[in-house]
Amino acid sequence: MKSTSWLWRGLGITSLVCTLLMMAGFGWALKDNWFPQAGMAVPKSAPPPSAAPGSLASKKELKIVAMGDSLTVGTGDATGSGYVKTAADGLSKTMHKPVRVLNNLALNGLRADQLLKLLDDKGYHNAIVQADIVFLTIGANDLFQIAQNGGSMAQGGDLSPEQLERRMPEVQTRLKDVWAKLRGMNPAARIVYVGLYNPFYDNPNMQPASDLLQEWNRFAHGLSVSDGNATVVPTYDLFESDIGRYLSSDHFHPNEAGYARIADRVVQALQ
Amino acid sequence: MANLLNLVQNETIKVWKKRRFAVVLLILLILIPVFVYAQMKIAQNSAQKFKGDWRAELQTQITDNTRALGSDRIPEEWKKWRRALVQQLQYYLDHDINPRTPNAVTFTRGFMDNAVTLFIPLMVLAIASDLVSSERSSGTVKMLLTRPVRRWRILLSKLVTLTLYVSLIIVATVLLCYLISGLVFGYRGWGEPVFIGFQVSGADVNTSGVHAVPQVIYVLMQAGLAWFASMVVAILALMVSVLVRSTAASFVTMMAAIIAGAILTNMASSWHSAKYLFNVNLELTSYLQGTPPPIEGMTLGFSLAVLAVWAAAGLVVSFGVFTKQDILN
Repeated sequence: MKSTSWLWRGLGITSLVCTLLMMAGFGWALKDNWFPQAGMAVPKSAPPPSAAPGSLASKKELKIVAMGDSLTVGTGDATGSGYVKTAADGLSKTMHKPVRVLNNLALNGLRADQLLKLLDDKGYHNAIVQADIVFLTIGANDLFQIAQNGGSMAQGGDLSPEQLERRMPEVQTRLKDVWAKLRGMNPAARIVYVGLYNPFYDNPNMQPASDLLQEWNRFAHGLSVSDGNATVVPTYDLFESDIGRYLSSDHFHPNEAGYARIADRVVQALQ
Repeated sequence: MANLLNLVQNETIKVWKKRRFAVVLLILLILIPVFVYAQMKIAQNSAQKFKGDWRAELQTQITDNTRALGSDRIPEEWKKWRRALVQQLQYYLDHDINPRTPNAVTFTRGFMDNAVTLFIPLMVLAIASDLVSSERSSGTVKMLLTRPVRRWRILLSKLVTLTLYVSLIIVATVLLCYLISGLVFGYRGWGEPVFIGFQVSGADVNTSGVHAVPQVIYVLMQAGLAWFASMVVAILALMVSVLVRSTAASFVTMMAAIIAGAILTNMASSWHSAKYLFNVNLELTSYLQGTPPPIEGMTLGFSLAVLAVWAAAGLVVSFGVFTKQDILN
């Protein structure tokens, strides 16, 4: 009987305190929902470390930040690694040091004007300032949307090379702006721009577009030369001889084999 | 009054001696380490990938969800949820705050968010379901009712006892979570800021009312809301326990209702009148989190009102039936 009375006292008081605590929490939640007060002061976090200056060969570890469109996402690659991961692994092997993909920020369907806005994002900023190497593919969607006359994407027949030629300078300006902004955020990083290829090479109507894409790649190359710490990786030749083997089923993006070839080129360009 | 206190004492001791609460503690002691281990594996995995750079991890999460938003294969409801998530994560990133600092309080917060719809109600049912029905099946209810005590007082004492145990269960869950996960993640994190006040309206998240609270206050509010939801479950379980003679039947009835609610919240967004069911409104902590409600137009006030109406109805039925019914057999 004695033990029961002690049990009741302990249990009763503990559970009463718990009940009052829960009621207080409930009341606080209601108050905060309907009469919110100014919150606590938010503490400052330590800023992300900046990339060290110096050549790629002299660094102990390399951080890669990738950004741009679906090519950098790796769309079409059934294994999901795209060229970014494969190139990082390849670089790690050839340079005998850890190479890490810090962030792959690429989004499907991204255009250069959208990327220009995204570069103001804090997340982009945090990643880019740390990067030793930046992988970039952008402009393909801009060009494609310009060339499109409202036709279906898979056909390629409704694309107009003339329109593409006429309006290419505006997209070139966009690329130039993206490049300048990127360089302004990180003066030390090596920028690797993966050039465009013509996914419609097997379509006779669109063969003239290959010349235009070359024109685009030449422009990008010009930017990289004046930048001094950048590389444009050519890819147009990879898809000309046997286009079906290296493109995925959407007939637009590369497949695993196509991405592996791009990754090889990227590694070679950085050695 | 003294009379009622004696009854409560009697009931409380009865539940304790039947080891119902011990079972609840045992379940917690077994399950929490399982979740802690799983969380530890996730943490190790991301530490390996991001080397402690939470900004990179957060940005990857934002990018992944943004990519998923572009996919046509994802249903519109999921997109709504992801869109809100992306905007929240972006808010954290813009204010340079890590939303998930690895520590015991963060683990407890995550656990409570997930436990409020199923896990905690289940443990509440372990105590609530046989409160009356067990007395009927074992016949002790006759002894109880032959005492010179009004019937409604007996039921009221059971209700008070239930309230005490519901509070105990939630406090025990929070404490055990903290103590066990602290072994792995460290016992810090009380003061870490958490942003609350995200208003989800349609496809957009309104951040004008967002403010930061210390994580410990967040957990307290979470526990309070979970407590309210659990009390409603407890009251309805008490009602079923009055109506049904078998403990098993009463437990299964309530469990089915709660599981149905969990399923409905995932698929009922086009069935609008489902928002008047109690089991769709149990996830009160989601309003704190700022995730989109299962059905358009639900708010904290709405859910609380629906739950309160159900609880009131449950009380009316329980007291009405318990004071009038004939005890046969």
